[in-house]
Amino acid sequence: MSIATPNGFQLDNSGKRVVVDPITRIEGHLRIEVNVDADNVIRNAVSTGTMWRGLEVILRGRDPRDAWAFVQRICGVCTGTHALASVRAVENALKIQIPENANTIRNIMHLTLFAQDHLVHFYHLHALDWVDVVSALSADPKATSELAQSISPWPMSSPGYFRDLQNRLKKFVESGQLGPFRNGYWGHPAYKLPPEANLMAVAHYLEALDFQKEIVKIQTIFGGKNPHPNWLVGGVPSPINMNAAGAVSAINMERLNMVSRIIDRTIDFIDQVYIPDLIAIAGFYKDWAAIGGGLSSKYLMSYGDLPIKANDYSPGNLMMPRGAIIDGNLNEVQDIDLDALDQVQEYVTHSWYKYDDEQKGLHPFDGETVPNFDIGGAKGTKTRIESVDESSKYSWVKSPRWNGHAMEVGPLARYVIGYLKGIPEFKEPTDMVLAKLGGAPVTALFSTLGRTAARGLECSWAAHKLKDEFNKLIASIRAGDTATANMDNFEPSTWPKSARGHGFVEAPRGALCHWIDIEDKKIKNYQCVVPTTWNASPRDPAGKIGAYEAALLDTPMHDPEQPLEILRTIHSFDPCLACATHVLDMEGNEVTSVKVR
Amino acid sequence: MSKMYHPSTPLPSRVREGHFGEAILPPAGVQPGPVYVYDAAIRLWHWVTFLAIIVLCVTGYFIASPPPSLGGEAHEHYLFGWIRFTHFAAGMILGVAFVLRLYRVLVGGKHARQIFWIPFWSLSWWKEIFEEVRWYLIIGKPKEYVGHNPLAHFAMFFMFVLPMLVLLFTGFALYSEGTGVHTVWYTWFGWVFRVLGDSMTVRTWHHAAMWVVILFSMVHMYMAIREDMTHRQTTISAMVSGWRFYR
Amino acid sequence: MGRQETFYELIRRQGISRRNFLKFCSLSAASLGLAPHFAGKIAHAMETKPRVPVLWLHGLECTCCTESFIRSAHPLAKDVILSMVSLDYDDTIMAAAGHQAEQAVADIMRDYKGQYILAVEGNPPLGNDGTFCIPGGRPFVEKLKEVAADAAAVIAWGSCASWGCVQAAKPNPTTAVPIHKVITDKPIIKVPGCPPIAEVMTGVITFYVTFGELPALDRQGRPLMFYGQRVHDKCYRRGHFDAGQFSEKFDDFGARAGYCLYKVGCRGPTTYNACSTTRWNEGVSFPIGSGHGCLGCSEPDFWDNGPFYDRLETFPQFGAEASADRIGAAAAAIVGVGIAAHAGLTALRQAKVKPNKPVAADERVV
Repeated sequence: MSIATPNGFQLDNSGKRVVVDPITRIEGHLRIEVNVDADNVIRNAVSTGTMWRGLEVILRGRDPRDAWAFVQRICGVCTGTHALASVRAVENALKIQIPENANTIRNIMHLTLFAQDHLVHFYHLHALDWVDVVSALSADPKATSELAQSISPWPMSSPGYFRDLQNRLKKFVESGQLGPFRNGYWGHPAYKLPPEANLMAVAHYLEALDFQKEIVKIQTIFGGKNPHPNWLVGGVPSPINMNAAGAVSAINMERLNMVSRIIDRTIDFIDQVYIPDLIAIAGFYKDWAAIGGGLSSKYLMSYGDLPIKANDYSPGNLMMPRGAIIDGNLNEVQDIDLDALDQVQEYVTHSWYKYDDEQKGLHPFDGETVPNFDIGGAKGTKTRIESVDESSKYSWVKSPRWNGHAMEVGPLARYVIGYLKGIPEFKEPTDMVLAKLGGAPVTALFSTLGRTAARGLECSWAAHKLKDEFNKLIASIRAGDTATANMDNFEPSTWPKSARGHGFVEAPRGALCHWIDIEDKKIKNYQCVVPTTWNASPRDPAGKIGAYEAALLDTPMHDPEQPLEILRTIHSFDPCLACATHVLDMEGNEVTSVKVR
Repeated sequence: MSKMYHPSTPLPSRVREGHFGEAILPPAGVQPGPVYVYDAAIRLWHWVTFLAIIVLCVTGYFIASPPPSLGGEAHEHYLFGWIRFTHFAAGMILGVAFVLRLYRVLVGGKHARQIFWIPFWSLSWWKEIFEEVRWYLIIGKPKEYVGHNPLAHFAMFFMFVLPMLVLLFTGFALYSEGTGVHTVWYTWFGWVFRVLGDSMTVRTWHHAAMWVVILFSMVHMYMAIREDMTHRQTTISAMVSGWRFYR
Repeated sequence: MGRQETFYELIRRQGISRRNFLKFCSLSAASLGLAPHFAGKIAHAMETKPRVPVLWLHGLECTCCTESFIRSAHPLAKDVILSMVSLDYDDTIMAAAGHQAEQAVADIMRDYKGQYILAVEGNPPLGNDGTFCIPGGRPFVEKLKEVAADAAAVIAWGSCASWGCVQAAKPNPTTAVPIHKVITDKPIIKVPGCPPIAEVMTGVITFYVTFGELPALDRQGRPLMFYGQRVHDKCYRRGHFDAGQFSEKFDDFGARAGYCLYKVGCRGPTTYNACSTTRWNEGVSFPIGSGHGCLGCSEPDFWDNGPFYDRLETFPQFGAEASADRIGAAAAAIVGVGIAAHAGLTALRQAKVKPNKPVAADERVV
C-alpha cells in the first residue's frame, strides 16, 4: 500500500525487502533497508543507526575546558569539528574573546580537514561505487596516459607509470587475496567507466591515499597530532615565536614554510587530480544527476562557518554561507536562530529513546536521552534483527527538525545556499561544472551526483581558502601581533556561577551545533545536534522522512542483491554514524537500564 | 631517685597487663617509677622518620607545584632535578628505616610490635577505644597505659602504618617509572600500576596517603604535647631518652 | 580462487634479490639456533606462505584508529594493506557491503582457521544485552567472540579496544569494556592511544609479518618497543623540567620559549607512548612540540584523570576543583581548628581539676 508523507514522498513497503547491513565505507554503523517493486525500483527506504555511546552522561560534572577532548572523540574522521564547536560553545558561555591569530589558525586547521576529509571521501569511501577495479586490468596503459593528459597537467601520467601500476594490480589480483576489494561488485552493469578511466582512477585512489596524509600535517603543526589534534578554550595551544630564543619550539619560520608548502601541494593535487577526475567520472554517470535528490530540492540548511574576524559569528562575517531553504522555495533563504526554542527540535518517536510525550519535539536545551531499545514489530529478535519495523522505533539516531522540517545538510546545502545568495566563489565554480556536464540546469545539483560534485568543489574552495588564511596569518604576524591565546578567563575562579552558550560549526558533513550549560564551574549539561543526525534521521511523528530515506526513493536497482545503487546515494552524503548517535542530554536525566519488552 | 624498670625486669605487681602487653597503670596516687619504653632503635627510627616526612612533604609540595621558573638556559640549572633528588633520597631513607623498623617488629619487644597489629578480634579492645573517645570528648576517664592507649594504637595503625605502606609502595612505583620498566625497581613495584589503574591514579593515591599521614602527624603531635602537660606521664622526652616518667 | 602471493614474492616485488632473500633465510636459521639445512626450509616456507589475512572489526569507536593507520608513511598504508597482509575485512575501506561484506568474514574464518589476525577498533558494550552496538542486526560482542575464537592473534587498536576509552569513562552508560574482558583465551597485543601513532600501528603489523612472532609485550600487553618508556623520558623539553623552567600558562614567555608544560597539566610523566620520539604524522610534531600538554591518551584511565590542565585529578563529588591536595588541605584545616578547640577545652578542664596532690615518698612504687 502506498502512503504519502507530509514532506512530499510516496512510500510503499509492499515489495521485496532488501537489507544492507553493514553499510561499509562510512564512519560508524549504519543499516539500510529498502522495499523494491517488481521492476526493482526502491519504493520505501529505512535508515537505522546501529550504535550509541552515551557521551552525554559521561560529560556531566566535568571541567568545561576539557569538553573539547571528549567530544572530539565523537568522530575521528571529521576530527576536530566537535572540538571546535565545543571550544566555541564554552567561549560563548563564558564570554571569552580569542585573539585574531587564534581565529585564523583555527580556520586553517578546519580548512585542512575539509581538504583532507573530502579527498579521502571521494577516493576511498566513494570512488569504488563508480570505479571498477578489476576492469582496470584490461586497460591500455598508453590510452590511459592519453586520457589522463587530456584532462589534467598532473605529471604522474606517463604510459610507463600506468603500466607499472597495472602490473602491480595484476599481481595483486592474481594472488587471490583481494583484501579490501574482496567480494566487491566488480563487473556490475552499473559500472560505466571504460577500462582506461578505471585504471586512472585506481592510480589516483592510491596516490590520494599517499597524499592525504600530507595535508593533515598542517593540523599536526598547530595541534601536535592528527587524528585528534589539540585545541584550547581561549585560543590555540601553539604559541608563535618568530624571532627569539626558543622559537624552534613554537610556530616559527620553518613551521610556516612547511604549512605553506603543504597548502601549495594540496591545491595542486585537488585541482589537478580530484577535480578533473570528478568531472571525467561524472561525465559517464550523467543519469545520476536525476537520481537520489531526496530532500535536496526542497529543504536545505547550513549554519555557516569560518569567521573572517575573530569572535563575530554573525552571517555577514562568515566565509561559509548561512541559511535555510524550505518547501523548495529557492527565492528565499531563511535565517536561523540556534537559541530559539521552537526552531531546532528533536523527536524520538522512531528512535530507541523515550520521551514523556513522544508526539512532541524538544529543543536541545530541554532535550532528554533515555535509551529504550524497543524493536516493535521487527522480524527476528532484539539480538538477531532480520528486518526493522519502521512503524515503530528503529534507530539509535534521533529525528531533528528545523521549524518542523526534515532538512538536508552538507556541502550541497552550502553550495546551493551560497549559489542562491549570489556569492561568486560558490556560484562561478558551480556554473562551470554544470557547463562541463553539458549545460545541465541548476536542478541537476539536487541529486546523488550533485552532492558528490558539490563536495569536490568545496574541497578545492577549501584548499584555496587555506592559502588566503595562511596569508592573513603572515600579515598579522608582520603587523606585530603574535598572540594566540587569551587566558584571562581560563581559571575557573573567574567564571560566573552559571553560564549557557552554543557553538556552531560547518563540519565537512554539514551543520553542527553544541549547546553547553555550565554551573558551579562544571558541565551541568551538554548537547550536540550533528550533521548525520539530520541526514540519517528516522521518521518523525508526522511521518516526514529524513534525507537518506528520501534520497533512496525511486532509485532503480539492477540487482537488489548487489546494492551498488544504494551505496552510491548513501555515500554521496558521507555518513558519520558515530557522530549521529551522540544526542546529548540537557536535562540531566540519568540514563537507566531500560527493560526491553 | 626510685628504681628504674629496665625492659628486662618484670613490671611491678600493681601494673596490670593489657592486650599486647600495654600495661595498665595503678590508680592515681600510686605512682610507678620510670619505665624504659622506647629503646634506642625505636627512637632513632622515630626521629629519622619524622625528619624524612618533613623533607618529603616539602619537596613533594614543590614537585606538585613547582616554584617559579628560573631564567637563562636549561643547562645552567638543575633546580627541579635537585628537588626531585632530595625527595627520592628522603624516600629511600624513609623506606630503609621502615624496613628496619619491621625487623624490630620481629625481634623487638611488645612495644615495638604494638602499632603493626591490631587485636580486631578483641571486643574489650574496641570497648576501650570507645572509652578513650569519651575521654577525649572530655566526658570520661579511661585507664592509663604504659604503651599506646587503644585509640592511639588504632590511629597509629590506620592513619600511620597503612598510609605509610601506601606511600612507600606508590612512591617506589613512581620512582621505578623513572628508572625504567626494564629495571629491578619496576620488577618489584610495577605491579602497583596494575592494581591501582594507571600512573595518574597512583599519583593520586600517593597524595591522598600523604594527607592522611599529615593529618595523623598533626593529631599525634598535639596529643603528645597534651599528654605531657595534662597526664601523669612524659611522652616527648620519652621518645628522646626512652624513659617514661610518671608524676 | 587464484594463487596466493607469498612473503617471498612480496619482498621480491619490493626489490629484494633472491640472493639476499636466501641470505636472510640463512641468517634467520642461524639466529634461531637451527642447523644450516633449515635455511632451505625457511626459504621454502616463505616462498609458499600466503599473506596473513586480517579481519578488522569495529565496535563502539570513532574510526580515529583507521584514520591514523592510513596516515602511515613508512611503510605506506597502501603497502601494508596490499602487500604485507591481506586486509579482508574493514568496514571503513572495503568495497563490499551488506551480505557480501559479512561473507568475507565467514570465508576467511573458514579458509584460514587459526591463521588470521583479528584487529579490533573500538569495543563491545555489554549493557542492555549488547544492543547499544548492533552492526549486522546483532550485538557486536557476539560477533567479536565468534571471530576471536579461531584467530591466531588479536590486536587491540587504540585505547577503546585496549582500555575502554571515552565511552567507558565514568559512569560508562553502555557498559563498554576493553576486548580482553570478552576474549580471554588468545594473545592480545594492545596498541593503545587515541588514536595510536600511525607508524606504531604499522610497525606492530610489520614486526609480526617480518619476524613471524608477536613483539615482546609488557605486563599489560603493550609492545615494549613503543610503550616501554614514558613520553617524559624522551621529551626534548625534559631539560627544562629538570632545570625547573615551566610554562605557567598558555602563550606566556615560557610557552614561547619552549619550556616544560608540566604546570599546564602535561601528562607526559605518566604516559607510556612513543610520541616524543617517533612523533606524529611522519615525525612532524607531537602534542608537546606544538604547545599543548600530553593528555595521556594511551593510559588506561586518562579520561577520568582530568581536568587536563591541572596536575592532579579532581573528584567532582567533592566539588568542581577538588583534587586530593585540596581535599587534604581542607581536612588539615578542619583538623587544625579541631585541635585548637580541643586544646582550649582541655585547658578549661585542667583549670577546674586540682593539681595532683604530691604523693608521699613511701607510697611510691619501689
